[in-house]
Formats: sequence, structure tokens, C-alpha cells
Amino acid sequence: MQFGIFTVSDITQDPTTGRTPTEAERIQATLTIAKHAEEVGLDVFALGEHHNPPFWSSSPTTTLAYIAGQTSTLQLTTSTTLITTNDPVKIAEDFAMLQHVSGGRVDIMLGRGNTGPVYPWFGKDIRQGLPLAQENYELLHRLWREDVVDWQGRFRTPLQGFTSTPRPLDGVPPFVWHGSIRTPEVAEQAASYGDGFFANHIFWPASHTQRMIALYRQRFEHHGHGTAAQAIVGLGGQVFMRKNSQDAVRDFRPYFDNAPVYGHGPSLEDFTQQTPLTVGSPQEVIDKTLGFRDYVGDYQRQLWLLDHAGLPMKTVLEQLDLLGEEVVPVLRREFAANRPAEVPDAPTHASLVAATYGGEAPRQATPNANRGDNLAGPSPYQDAQATAAAPAPVKTGSAFGPAATR
Amino acid sequence: MTDTTAVKRIVVISSGLSTPSSTRQLADRLSADAASILRERGVEVEVQTFELRDLAHDITNNLLLGFAPPKLEAALEAVASADGLIAVSPIFTTSYAGLFKSFIDVIDTQALTDLPVLLGATGGTPRHSLAIDYAMRPLFTYLHAIPVTTGVYAATSDWGDGGDGVRSLPDRIFRGAKEFADLVERTDRANLVNDPFALDRPTGHLIGGLAGE
Repeated sequence: MQFGIFTVSDITQDPTTGRTPTEAERIQATLTIAKHAEEVGLDVFALGEHHNPPFWSSSPTTTLAYIAGQTSTLQLTTSTTLITTNDPVKIAEDFAMLQHVSGGRVDIMLGRGNTGPVYPWFGKDIRQGLPLAQENYELLHRLWREDVVDWQGRFRTPLQGFTSTPRPLDGVPPFVWHGSIRTPEVAEQAASYGDGFFANHIFWPASHTQRMIALYRQRFEHHGHGTAAQAIVGLGGQVFMRKNSQDAVRDFRPYFDNAPVYGHGPSLEDFTQQTPLTVGSPQEVIDKTLGFRDYVGDYQRQLWLLDHAGLPMKTVLEQLDLLGEEVVPVLRREFAANRPAEVPDAPTHASLVAATYGGEAPRQATPNANRGDNLAGPSPYQDAQATAAAPAPVKTGSAFGPAATR
Repeated sequence: MTDTTAVKRIVVISSGLSTPSSTRQLADRLSADAASILRERGVEVEVQTFELRDLAHDITNNLLLGFAPPKLEAALEAVASADGLIAVSPIFTTSYAGLFKSFIDVIDTQALTDLPVLLGATGGTPRHSLAIDYAMRPLFTYLHAIPVTTGVYAATSDWGDGGDGVRSLPDRIFRGAKEFADLVERTDRANLVNDPFALDRPTGHLIGGLAGE
């Protein structure tokens, strides 16, 4: 099981000091936090995407590429990448690139976004949010698996003979998670592709997450990707810890009361009762987190939100220390106990390569000399058209997809 | 639910702020008349009444957070699965109470489709009686509910001898209740209630929600 943190990249006034960090400070702090996540033994760092103040993370792959260069084991992902308003061609290129520079330490979480004006800012219609998510992902999925794509859809200019470069590392696309709070159609999309499903799980009641995950698992099995227990599930979570409970509640309350999302709403006590937020001792966090398994089943990835609502970097680093020293080691042990053998781990680049090629050498894409287009021959690559969808041995000849059926 | 379920479920929402409340009193009169008309016809009736005042904090939290705390969730589920809704608000500053509109705002926009509705309002003076038709009725038609043509407005004077002597408040209550009962008796709406996790459900309302993802 993987453990990590995710950030939404908000730049929020610290309510205890009245000071708001600069963009530069928050960006540097986030880089420090990401590196410290690896230092304390966490597995995953996830970064959100926003296109308006007071958020800074407009270009997640740039940031993640830097973090990749500063770390060695940390898995890098997003929370989330906007599949609605980003060009799927650019997503395909950016994340394949990130795979190469990070040595495969990358996956991606797709979401629709929660800021209405982002749609018109990027020339899209919010009323088409779901159709955009569906069409764009269908194209993204093909771009990573087919060397040459002919494509026409409703929302993007058509592609004829397009090759997304670089080809995915070792011919294996990044693993994809689909993130949603409350949209059953997204659970269905994840299930139909056999991708992972990530439930935000921090703003809404557990009962809601339980229904979403149950639907996803059932549909994953329906679509023939394995049993319901083998579906790939990730959960968000939100914690604030001190050695003892009372200190945690006292220290976190001003941040809770003024937080951008739930501040000035319910009391800290009501909210911790109604949602997975845990404010207390490391032991309380352990107990609450282990309880997640009771209603979603054995799962693959747990990410916590630690660095929002104006919490200073020093506090966030302390939270990471507590997670790394006291919480995660116990969770690893406890989650491993009684875990059925059929439940897989979260896919990594290594596991996907192994699943795709068995013991064979993975594909290493090598282009032909530039002909100026991709249409004249069967492939712009010297090596074959082996793709993740078609495991080794490497095949030669005409392309899969439209080219193969022409 | 199957057609063997003969019980019709009427949900009443009253957004009066004082206790006791003349808004609640009107709501009770409307539901009592509707229930007795249906019972006389041999229809079993259950009435469930919610005072929005008791849900005011939950409604605000739902507006801020995007999800309903448990007590409000129960009320929203009751409304969504009802065979008929009696909705009564005081008229403040020419329109329904803010609390009333806030409650309507946290209802799923498809939850009231085809729902028979009886509208009622209270106010200090009869001069605001049209607020039912220019303010409340459009809310429910927008949500594809079916408000009956008679809305019942009770001014303070209606409760005493200063009321309309030609069409008294009880007359108007009975007329509205009868129109409402006629629709409730016939509706098969409870059989059509959508599960939000059913995948064939239209999805427009899910887009651009309050909470981030």
C-alpha cells in the first residue's frame, strides 16, 4: 500500500499571524515539503492544478519534474489534472516527458475541476464537462498506446497521422487514476478502462465515499478487469496531529475556523464527526485511517492533505515527521495484516512493465529519419508497434488502431 | 417501491421563524385537510412535517460545504421521495423567506420533478398575497414540480374576524387541499424516484458542483 500527501497549492493567510505568504515562498515551501515527504518515508506526492489566485500550481508537470530531480523514490502524481480543459494531446506529451525524466516515477489523476470560469478561460463550455472528460480521455488513452493516431471528435481539432512524442517510457503509459467526489459517471469511466479510482474523501461524509467505491468496484468487475476486490482504490484524507489530542484541537482550530472551504461553517467537532478529518494524536489518526478499510475494502493508496488553510511550512514538516515516524509504519503493518492475496498493490512503472512484457525487454522507441509526415509508411518508428495494449513479443508491420484496419 | 404500496407520503415544510408560528399553523391546516380528503377516499396517508428553523444551521453548512449533515439529509430524502409536498413560507420584504429559498437551493435540481406541490404563505397584510404566484410558483415550475393552481395566503387578519368574509381561510385551505389531494392520489412518482448512483441518470446537475475535486 502507498502512503503520501497531496496539495491543492492554496496560498492562504495564516489566521494566527495575519500574514499571507508570497507566491515565491509557497512554491519553495511546497518543494521542501515534497522532498521531506520522501525523507520521512512516504511514497507519493500529488499536486493540484489551478488557474486562478490564490493558487499557484498552474503547471504541475514543470513542478513535478523539478521534484523528480530532487528525489529518488517518490512517486509523483496530480490531484488533479483537468481532463476537461487541458488539451489531451498536451497531457499525453507532458506526462510521457515526465515519465522519462523521472525514471517512471509518475502517474496521473484526472478530474473535471471545481472552478467554473476555467472552462470559458480555456474555450470550453462547463455544461459539456462530462462529455469533455470522456472524449478527451478516450483520445489521451489512444495517444499513449498508438504511435500514429487518426482522430476526430466534437471538442478538439481533428488529428491525422499524429504521433505524440516522446512515446511513453518503455512503451508503458502512466497509470491513470480518475478522481471524483460525487459523480458516479467518473467511477464508471475508471471502471470501464480498468483504471484506478480516487475518492477525494475529505469534504464529504464517509457514507458517500462508500457508495462511490462500491459502484466503482462492482463496475470494474462487470467490465472484466478482475474481481471487485482487485479494483484499484485511492482515498484522500485530512489530518492534524500533536502528541496529544487536546493540543492538536487547540492548534488546528484557528486554521479550521478560517479555512477556505469549510471555515465559518460547521464546528470542528461536527466536521470531524461527519467527515474523515482527524484532529488528534497519532494513535487517533491510525485508528481512524484503519477504519477506512471497513467501508471501502482493502485499498491501494492513501493520500493526506496537510499543507492547506495557511498552515506554516514548519508545522507541515512536523506533521510529516509524525506521519513518517509514528503513523505510516503502523499503518503499513496493520493494512498488510489480513490483506487477501488477491488484492494487488498500486501499479507502478516497474509492475506495469512486468505485466506488459513478462521477462522480455521493453520497447525502446527509435524514430525513423524524418519523412515530414506520419502518413506515408506504416510507422514513424524503426522498432515495431508494440504497445502496452499488445504485450510482447514485439510485432512488426502495420499499426494497431485505424492504420491496422485500413 | 411497488404498486402494492398504497400509502401516500406527504411532506410538509414550514419556514416560519417564531414559535408558535402562524406559518406552521397554516401548514398544519393544509396537511390536515389534504390527509382527511385522501383518507375519505380510502387512501392511506403519512404526513411528515419539517420546520426549517430546526434545520437552519445544517442548511447553511450545506450551502458552504456542498453536503448535507445527517438531519438535513433525512429531510432532503423525505422531500425527494414524497408523493406530495406542502411548502409554506412567511412573506418577508415582498418574497419568500431567505431560509425557505436556501432550503430549495440545497435540494437536488431533479429531486422535485413531477412532484405535486401545494403552496402556502403567511404575512402581516393581505396586500402581499400575490407573492405566492410571482415568487414561490416560479421556483417550483423551474424544478419541474407541479404546484396546484390554488395557493393559500393567510394574512394575520385571516385568523380572526378581519378576514375575507366571502372566501374564508378555511374555504381556501380546503380548495387548495382538494386540488393537491387529487394529484397526490394519482401520482406514481414514488416509483420513479432516481437513485443518484444509477448510471442512466441525466448528469447535467453534477457538473460544476460546490466542492472541489
